[in-house]
Amino acid sequence: MKRQRDFGLHLLLAACVASLLVAWFAPVRADTSMPAPAPSATTLVHGLAPLPGGRTVPEAWRPPGAQGDAGPSPVIFPAQRLGLRFDHARHVALGATCATCHDKAKTSRSSADSLLPAGTRCDGCHGTNPRTQTVTAGTESIGACATCHLGYRPEDGQLVLRTSLPRPHLRFDHAVHAERGVDCAACHGAVGSLELATVDQLPRMRACFGCHTADRPNAGKPSRACPTCHLTERDTLLVTSFAEGRLEPPRWLHDAEHGPDWIERHKRIAGDDSRFCASCHAERFCTDCHDGRLRPRQVHPNDFLNMHAIAARQNSPTCTSCHHEQSFCLGCHQRAGVTMSGPLGNIAERGRFHPPPAVWTEGPRGPGHHAWEAERNLNACVSCHTERDCVSCHATAVVGGYGSGSSSGRRTDPHPAGFAARCGRALRQNPRPCLVCHDPADPELASCR
Amino acid sequence: MLAGMRRSVPVAAACVACVVWCFGERRASAYESEVDASVAAQFYSLESPYGEPLLRRRRYTNTLGIALYDLQGDRSPRGPVLSFRSRVRLDADLGQDPAERDPNSARFVPGLEQAPFDLMYAYLEGDRYFGGGFGFKLGRQYVADVLGWWSFDGAEVALATPAHLRLEAYGGLEQRSGLPLLTTPRFQADGVARGSRDDLRSDQWTSYLNQSAVAPALGVALETSDLWWLHARVTYRRVTNRDSVVVSPFLPADGVLRTVTEDRISTERVGGSLRLQPLSFGALSGSIVYDFYAGLVSQQAVALDAYASARLTLGADYERIVPTFDADSVFNWFAHSAMTSYTARSVYTFSRRLDAALDFGAREYQTLGDPATYATTSNESAVRRELDPFALLFGRYRFNDGSVSLRSQAELGARGHRVGADVTTRKLFANGYYDGLVVLSLYDFKDELRPDRYATSFSYVLGGGLRPGGLGDRARLGLEWEHTMNRLVGQRYRLLATLDLTVLR
Repeated sequence: MKRQRDFGLHLLLAACVASLLVAWFAPVRADTSMPAPAPSATTLVHGLAPLPGGRTVPEAWRPPGAQGDAGPSPVIFPAQRLGLRFDHARHVALGATCATCHDKAKTSRSSADSLLPAGTRCDGCHGTNPRTQTVTAGTESIGACATCHLGYRPEDGQLVLRTSLPRPHLRFDHAVHAERGVDCAACHGAVGSLELATVDQLPRMRACFGCHTADRPNAGKPSRACPTCHLTERDTLLVTSFAEGRLEPPRWLHDAEHGPDWIERHKRIAGDDSRFCASCHAERFCTDCHDGRLRPRQVHPNDFLNMHAIAARQNSPTCTSCHHEQSFCLGCHQRAGVTMSGPLGNIAERGRFHPPPAVWTEGPRGPGHHAWEAERNLNACVSCHTERDCVSCHATAVVGGYGSGSSSGRRTDPHPAGFAARCGRALRQNPRPCLVCHDPADPELASCR
Repeated sequence: MLAGMRRSVPVAAACVACVVWCFGERRASAYESEVDASVAAQFYSLESPYGEPLLRRRRYTNTLGIALYDLQGDRSPRGPVLSFRSRVRLDADLGQDPAERDPNSARFVPGLEQAPFDLMYAYLEGDRYFGGGFGFKLGRQYVADVLGWWSFDGAEVALATPAHLRLEAYGGLEQRSGLPLLTTPRFQADGVARGSRDDLRSDQWTSYLNQSAVAPALGVALETSDLWWLHARVTYRRVTNRDSVVVSPFLPADGVLRTVTEDRISTERVGGSLRLQPLSFGALSGSIVYDFYAGLVSQQAVALDAYASARLTLGADYERIVPTFDADSVFNWFAHSAMTSYTARSVYTFSRRLDAALDFGAREYQTLGDPATYATTSNESAVRRELDPFALLFGRYRFNDGSVSLRSQAELGARGHRVGADVTTRKLFANGYYDGLVVLSLYDFKDELRPDRYATSFSYVLGGGLRPGGLGDRARLGLEWEHTMNRLVGQRYRLLATLDLTVLR
């Protein structure tokens, strides 16, 4: 009966969770307040894409550093909305230069500046007249509103699609770059060969490092320090959280791509160059896991309490990267009564933790024997046992153990291979572990001295 | 309880002072400041595998961070910067049985505190002095490198040279438990338990070593700088034990416990790491650590990543670790063999929203000698090996206001298996005012050394939070409910409440 009731309870819980998930991912009704763009009345095929017919832009025409990528990060350059068609190549062929239209670029000092030309810049050639409140179309075909304004219909009157180029999440001083002779193509690629310039023609960080190479300020070269271009918090850490997503390093930068398995490989990068990590992460980010008091779920999945013993035997080095075994692990194990020499009140009524003595201590020294397990993964032992537990057998007879070597009749000498060659140095550097098992007058100690 | 309350007083006073300071009258100042606090309350029970004892965890954790920036005055992009950062923490467990802290009780656990209060870090940092190449840190600080994540009280100076090299030197005292310096045992070398023995008789808990003297530490590091395609760091650190500690594990016949009193090595290690990324084809990295006391290479690793295409990264990792401990510990001489991991990695980015990774490989464990005779030192050359295979599969889909991620693993081998997966979903609502969390987990595990410890475990987590305006500059209130069910624990519940608050001035 209880089992049936439990089953029913679990079924109910599962149904609740499933319902939540369905509600969670239920599609949100589309916002219909924005009118869809009207179809164009005129058939215009140029200036709608970088190349006619949507052809792929040759890699050589893309910005330096863009080769092979899928475009700049939308976190740095938020999505643009282009309500215009424009044929750069045609304008260049007619004699225009970059500065003809983007004349403010050479003096701009902030990435917030709008560097698109005002509509009045077009009027001289296109014959449109914006000087009155009502813009008048030109008399020739190039002066028609629909020539440039996407989806324009005569019945729209003065309404055209808005062009929106959001401010990039960067610091950038066009004027400084222009003063140092950096031409437009060095960052934007061959825009003059394209028709429509899209977000893909915006600069790539990889190319910035062609000039920004100085690791410290005042070195006579542009600095490669992150805050030179990236926005920073008060503490000089980079701003990494934006409405468009989280700013993360690309894989070619310190091999630090924060991919889905980053948690497994971050130690390699952080161990080599923690200053790089500190560009974005304050101490607290690291301490939350490495010296934390809340279980990080990305490391320890649910029910890790039950599974952690298996995990520790399989991969103990990952445990020791955050936990001190003789305090964090041992302290909890002593409280829970799973240690050998823990508080007597906690272990009085318990059963045996390890396999029976016939396997664990008296059996052949194969898998399952405690000596084999200790050699296999000593950290797992240290998380429950104090040195006293091991020394009670492994110490020499004078100190209270079984002794070592064949003289005692039991092979309990724990020293590793090659120990004799290094025992003298170890004894001089720190005699304590020697004296735990050996009497000071022990001849074996004398041989090490 | 009273001791815990007494320890809570300083942090409570600090909190009140900070609140008064933050919300008090604003005055113009050259520097900027940031105060952030986090509060977490956790309620759950932990049952011993034997059924008793049952530990009731009623945990309350409070951290308080205070930082001051631009202490140098007006900030110049290339000029010196001076800042101060600090964080304190109170970590109380109000569910503890007082008997667990009574040395005369049969349930006494050495080192257990009800409300430990520690200073996580507090340092003054200067950078870009003397033309930009000189920096320093003064106070309790962290060092993170190939030798591990470590903390000390002292000073560090760094000098960047024009020759693509940066030199660091530091000295001070290792952060250790037992000293009245608001410390934790997290950063001391393992293998021995240390702490204050003020309340213990000399023959009680002899393995719990006295810590009443400071442990001097010094280190140097040399690393490359200014080279984006290469980073290398060589680092050396030495820590000295100065405390008088007991040697005898058992009370000798004469009733006098032997001790060692002289200064001696705690840890002395040198490590090196390297990352070489000559072109956009991939990266090669490696690291090595040598432990002078144990006289062996305790860690070595090599990893190769190849950027096979714009979307695909392939990698191979090799890592070999021999456990080493504080030189006071006998465990150093029980550590014989290495654990070696071989991992193949692949990461595929389907789009900016969707990516996945598959890692698989094996861990190799070695034991010296023939199983029948290997404890004799005359037969040390023979090696037996065991292989435990493993695989990890990760997936992540990020949408505009949330994400769904998968973490699955299969860890197999002679000592047991863990096979299962977590699916974690996070989502923001109302432009981030509310957030939600759902985690579903299903795992099957079995401990081959303890055949009664097996189960198929299902857990779920439901959580949510809100970010109220008007409560500091950044604030979040959160609540999580976790429910686990399996044959070992029946039903287990955990409740977690959090408050994070930041004030900028």
